[in-house]
Amino acid sequence: MSSSEAHDSHNPYLAHHFDTMEQQDHAARLGMWLFISTEVLLFAGLFLGYTVYRWMYPNTYQACANLLSIPMGATNTVVLITSSFTAAWAHHCIKINQIKRGLGLLAVTIVFACVFLVVKYFEYSHKFSVGQLPGKWYSFDGLQAPGANLFFAVYFLATGLHGLHVLIGMTVLGIIGYRTIKGRYHGGNHVGVELGVLYWHLVDLVWIFLFPLLYLI
Amino acid sequence: MSTKAHDSNHEDHGMGRYVAVFAALLVLTGVTVWTGEMDFGSWNIIIAMVVATIKASLVVLFFMHLWDEGPFNRLIFVVSILFAIVLILFVFGDLMFRIPGLLPPSIQENDIPKILESHHHH
Repeated sequence: MSSSEAHDSHNPYLAHHFDTMEQQDHAARLGMWLFISTEVLLFAGLFLGYTVYRWMYPNTYQACANLLSIPMGATNTVVLITSSFTAAWAHHCIKINQIKRGLGLLAVTIVFACVFLVVKYFEYSHKFSVGQLPGKWYSFDGLQAPGANLFFAVYFLATGLHGLHVLIGMTVLGIIGYRTIKGRYHGGNHVGVELGVLYWHLVDLVWIFLFPLLYLI
Repeated sequence: MSTKAHDSNHEDHGMGRYVAVFAALLVLTGVTVWTGEMDFGSWNIIIAMVVATIKASLVVLFFMHLWDEGPFNRLIFVVSILFAIVLILFVFGDLMFRIPGLLPPSIQENDIPKILESHHHH
């Protein structure tokens, strides 16, 4: 980044209560990392629930994990990892003023997010149709075990909360794209893009743990 | 207030680093699926968690730039991970070492899933 811009007191992107762009960007990143920490703790509660019930019903948990489709889970893992890469790439492009390419990559990232949700929709609709559901709604004949409805309670809470994050992430990426089109984000002002992309990486991060815990082991 | 250190993640490492991390993440996804389908007994969960932790570290350090971030932001993230570990370890410890009579009765003996093979995916 050009430092001349950072020390320009007439920089339109610099809020009056900050001395320099560096200081402003530093404060913005600090706020984002604080928010990411709260997200880590939010999901930690669900991972704790998983751990406790898995310890109580290890055999049932393994049998339930076998009911999930590994190809679908693995596909979604690759989709999210690729979308994280395209999001990082998009930020890189906007940072070096390749605005059109950056916008294209943001669009590609949102398309990957849609693919993830479509795969998730097929998984959910299958579970609804065969009755692999939480609590009292569990009615699947193929696997009868006292802890099976607990597995699917954790499954739907964890993947549901993660899915909500995918939706919010898509919205954030969309807003970033819109603001970039409007000329707000470019090489001289891109910390907003960076933070939005950080949120998208967080979505990827959570799924990296959910996939093996729910589908594989 | 503003120093070079604060802004260090503005140093451009270019696309090379992102491409390398992306490739490593794809390979590790393959590894976790591959080892997940083999039977290592109780080692399966350990292998899967080690691979997931490596993948997550790559994402946090390089996609999310924590590698280049200032010490304060690193501290915030590390502390959140530590508290998550404390939460899980303390509750899990309570569960494992609690007086057996306080747990729901014969929960482990009831853990015998009845499986109809026709419904199995794999």
